[in-house]
Amino acid sequence: MDKRIDRRTFLKFSSAGIASALLGSTGLLSWTPRAEAATITQTFYITEGFITQPDGIDVYFRGFSPSTNSLTVPGAQMIVQEGDTVRITIVNTLGTSHSFKIDGVVDSGRIYGGQTKTIEFQVNNAGTYLYYDARNAPYNRLTGLHGGFAVMPRGSSDEIYDGSPRFVQQYFWLFHDIDPVWHNAIRNRNTPNTRYSPRYFTLNGLSARPPGAPGAHDPNVDAMADPRSALHGHVGDRTLLRVLNPGLCQQSVHTHGNHMEWITDNGQVRDEVWSKDCIYLEGNMGKFDAIYPFESPPDAEPPVNTGTYPMHLHTEMSQTAGGGMYMFGALTDIYFE
Amino acid sequence: MGMRRRSSSTDTTTTDTTTTTSGGMDGGGGGGGGMGGGACYVYPGAPATPGLTNADVTYDLGIDMQIPLTMDDGNTINMWGFSDNGGNMDGMGGGGGGMGGGTFPSPAMRMRQGDIVHTNLNVGMMWMHTVHHHGIEPAHTSDGVGHITWDVANGTYTYQWRPAHAGTYFYHCHTNTVLHAEMGMYGVLIVDPPEGAGTLFSGGPTYDVEAFWVVDEIDSSWHNLPWDAGTCGGDVGLNELNPDYFVITGVDGSGNSAMNLPPISATVQRGQKLLARYICAGYHPQKIRFGGLTGKIYASDGRPLPKPVSVTEIRAASAERYDIIFEPTERGTYLIETDIIHWVTGDVLGTTRTSITVT
Repeated sequence: MDKRIDRRTFLKFSSAGIASALLGSTGLLSWTPRAEAATITQTFYITEGFITQPDGIDVYFRGFSPSTNSLTVPGAQMIVQEGDTVRITIVNTLGTSHSFKIDGVVDSGRIYGGQTKTIEFQVNNAGTYLYYDARNAPYNRLTGLHGGFAVMPRGSSDEIYDGSPRFVQQYFWLFHDIDPVWHNAIRNRNTPNTRYSPRYFTLNGLSARPPGAPGAHDPNVDAMADPRSALHGHVGDRTLLRVLNPGLCQQSVHTHGNHMEWITDNGQVRDEVWSKDCIYLEGNMGKFDAIYPFESPPDAEPPVNTGTYPMHLHTEMSQTAGGGMYMFGALTDIYFE
Repeated sequence: MGMRRRSSSTDTTTTDTTTTTSGGMDGGGGGGGGMGGGACYVYPGAPATPGLTNADVTYDLGIDMQIPLTMDDGNTINMWGFSDNGGNMDGMGGGGGGMGGGTFPSPAMRMRQGDIVHTNLNVGMMWMHTVHHHGIEPAHTSDGVGHITWDVANGTYTYQWRPAHAGTYFYHCHTNTVLHAEMGMYGVLIVDPPEGAGTLFSGGPTYDVEAFWVVDEIDSSWHNLPWDAGTCGGDVGLNELNPDYFVITGVDGSGNSAMNLPPISATVQRGQKLLARYICAGYHPQKIRFGGLTGKIYASDGRPLPKPVSVTEIRAASAERYDIIFEPTERGTYLIETDIIHWVTGDVLGTTRTSITVT
């Protein structure tokens, strides 16, 4: 362990501190297309610390954070447009080497402990991507060094790719699974040598808190109340879901209220759009894009246009925390308003 | 927020804007305190159903928490399920168990597209349950999700819905779902088109023979847990599903028990069409192989595909459904095998087997 990093100096974060740092004043992603390409700049600080889980256990994480004294898991969501130049500065505040990679787009290579590195790249292919630390794979990524990155088609505000089905709003859903034994081994610079046994499950970095639980309804704590995760829409507000899995577990993403239109699978545009209430999400960086159409729930009698429904993983082990605590896992709510 | 645990309800879909938690679970204790030893984060209720009208089809479901399932190795595993004797109160004199009558899987539901359906769920005092009709998308008051509406307790609640799309669905309990669905609280739900059974969906293929492949895994170490296990915290192992039994439509599928057992297995003449309704009812992913036959997927999750897809195997995630038509041309017996695959390692944990015989 690097002597510069002392346990006492580690940052300890409540979930609240993390999400508010990320969210700022707005949750929902908005996007205004530009006629001209731009240069987008972003600085990430690779930091570490502990995050308290729903059962009170503190678990070690690393993140692409907005400042040296914060910890953000996952890193900030980024949306750019085709043709843009992206300039990212990585400040590695840790003693370990890390990297910043987007498969098929950019790889920073090794960023030594204490080093600052700026990478610049052009984005040419619209789509949904994971940025992540590819070193010591998959361990560094699993500790929290990952985030969502989207490239919009040039000049478009409502397509996934040129000519795709259209949407009116978009969300990232990053699902993650956490084995605290592995995280602790990585913290101690060991290679995990135990069977992977995830005990916590998150959506955009937060576990859910059911009504009545401490933290319930707090958007900084509760994935069901997090505006980055909970869907809000009126009938007709077709909503793009950019679904990414930095974790290791294969998942089944299940929505109530409406089926999803399954548009892409692991970066490939599907030949046909299927209407699905469960979509297979590969582990180990699987991804898909789907549109939640916000149509009137089709099987209601009498008909309704409003209501609240859950989205949860049907791989139900992921709905738990610490081996129990159903509904403290990776789920959120969908509001027909 | 709001819209939580109301004890009576005439408002159907409004969500009030109060920020107080109306779950009534001060100190983290659940509304079910005193029931089953003190459940947490459950939302008991059995109010009148908003907009209740006359039903075309009614299912009366009760609860049975003692359904013995004997496996090929002679061991008996306790399953939970719904019974079709919902007029009886469970747990009222059964020594803590249900009144019986439950099966694994739970009784099948089958109706026609456009029917108004009532699912009357009768739950006694000992526990809480709901019915979620998976893939059916009703008003949230009939969706059976406790934290959004209520977990049915000590009474009867009527879920009212009207299926708009023919296809293959299933229903399951959505209370402490991770445990209750694994314990077997699910049943097949088929919506026939107006043409009736024999047609998959209006404008879709017809079929002569039907098979039901509901593939699931069982971790017997979960099967001594109480209904509210883990809800108040504590490690009861629900993050780890390490199955030791593998079932197809309620039968141990690891040996020969389901090989010749219609409607799991099927016999079809050349020139006939077989519809297989495959439901991935477990939590781990699955891969089903058709023993050399090629089938066509016409629908999935209760929706027609834009174009049918020819397949010799299908990979499925939890709760996906696939409707596959076979038109075999060669006599023979074809082995239908489904691997249950660990969600992290990809290891095959077990395999279920049944067969299609072509005459």
